[in-house]
Amino acid sequence: MENTGSAAASTSAGTTVTAGAAGSSGSSSSSSGTSAGSTTGSTGSGATGTGSGAAAEPTTGAAAKAGGTYAGSVVQTRFGAVQVQITVKAGAITDVEALQLTDDDRKSIQISNRAAPLLKAEVLAAQSADVQTIGGATVTSDAYLSSLQAAIDAANL
Amino acid sequence: MRARTFNCMGTVVSLTLPSTSGADELVAATAVVEQLFAGLDEAFSLYRPDSEASRIARAEIMLPDASEDMRRLYADAAGWRLVTEGAFTPERPDGVLDLSGIVKGHAIQEAGTSLLALGLRDWCLNAGGDVLVHGSPVPASAGDGTTESGSPAPGSGQPWRAGIVDPADRRTLIAGYPLGGPPGAKLALATSGSAERGDHIWTAGAGRGSGSVAGGGRAAPAFRQVSVAAADIVTADVLATAIVAGGLPMLDRATDGWEIEVLAARTGGELLATPGFRR
Repeated sequence: MENTGSAAASTSAGTTVTAGAAGSSGSSSSSSGTSAGSTTGSTGSGATGTGSGAAAEPTTGAAAKAGGTYAGSVVQTRFGAVQVQITVKAGAITDVEALQLTDDDRKSIQISNRAAPLLKAEVLAAQSADVQTIGGATVTSDAYLSSLQAAIDAANL
Repeated sequence: MRARTFNCMGTVVSLTLPSTSGADELVAATAVVEQLFAGLDEAFSLYRPDSEASRIARAEIMLPDASEDMRRLYADAAGWRLVTEGAFTPERPDGVLDLSGIVKGHAIQEAGTSLLALGLRDWCLNAGGDVLVHGSPVPASAGDGTTESGSPAPGSGQPWRAGIVDPADRRTLIAGYPLGGPPGAKLALATSGSAERGDHIWTAGAGRGSGSVAGGGRAAPAFRQVSVAAADIVTADVLATAIVAGGLPMLDRATDGWEIEVLAARTGGELLATPGFRR
């Protein structure tokens, strides 16, 4: 359900979420409410690997050590164009900022394109009398004779 | 509609045209498709001892000396292995080169190209359950003056309606999916699974859980059947196979990385689907 593009944002969001969970203590199933107050610090910081740093343009190693701000190249993803900028201080990345993050309409559609559990009644339905062709794991020549596709073909031969 | 069938690659191939097409048009088109399938089967079948693929398997020919078709398809398959992180592979666990996972999709794709080259805009090609269509079963052209040759716009009428068999009961359908019709619609639907031919897909060790790809171990497959709709049949076919082999992690990689719709039936019978499969 989540997307790599939002990785940077989740750093700060993480703290907020943790605070919320602590407040509602009893409702959370995994952390069971006991030590909710004390764990806040560690949860917030642990999550970030800043995977987006990889996109930054490696100007030179020396320049990076000196520090500064570096804009990565624009990368085309299937969600649209993405560009990030990193801030380096004393040889370490201290900040990652998205300069360009896909246009919102497409993103919101595409990010939800993961497969989710569905009841049979929620799937696009079809009756064999109402379709023109049948998809399925490969049918052997022998099995074809008794298949739905054979019935459809026979009706049109 | 009019349909014709022929046997090839151990299965049956069906070509269907709208009723408005001529009978001889269908006969001629089927002949072209059949010839193309037969040619590829002759070279790539591991069931034929005299095929080029069998000779490579026996190390009588080295891959660099193989035909251009063989090398090109191997390169395609190796490329897919890379982008699916090993879930799709052109080699059997015993190391024998096996391009059968891609050759049927390739044959369908080539056949589709030939049908378009013949000037046919509306057709449905089904090879053993993998489907590629173009246009519509009811071309809208009849009253539009775009009837005959010339206008390249495919019938923007109704889509071809494909049904997907229930792996638990192959006489019934678990879902439907529209292919073709309006411009931009997906044209290909491929399904992989262990329902019909036994466990012909080698799962990639990590059938469940961890995303890493282990060597050729066989884990219990997480999915009994996986259908993928895509713009082209090779992508649909390869990804359906990869998801069966690579389990849930590969399913997520596939939906994140490609413009596809997926309907996956878990071994327990539950369904997972992308929004395009929702009614």
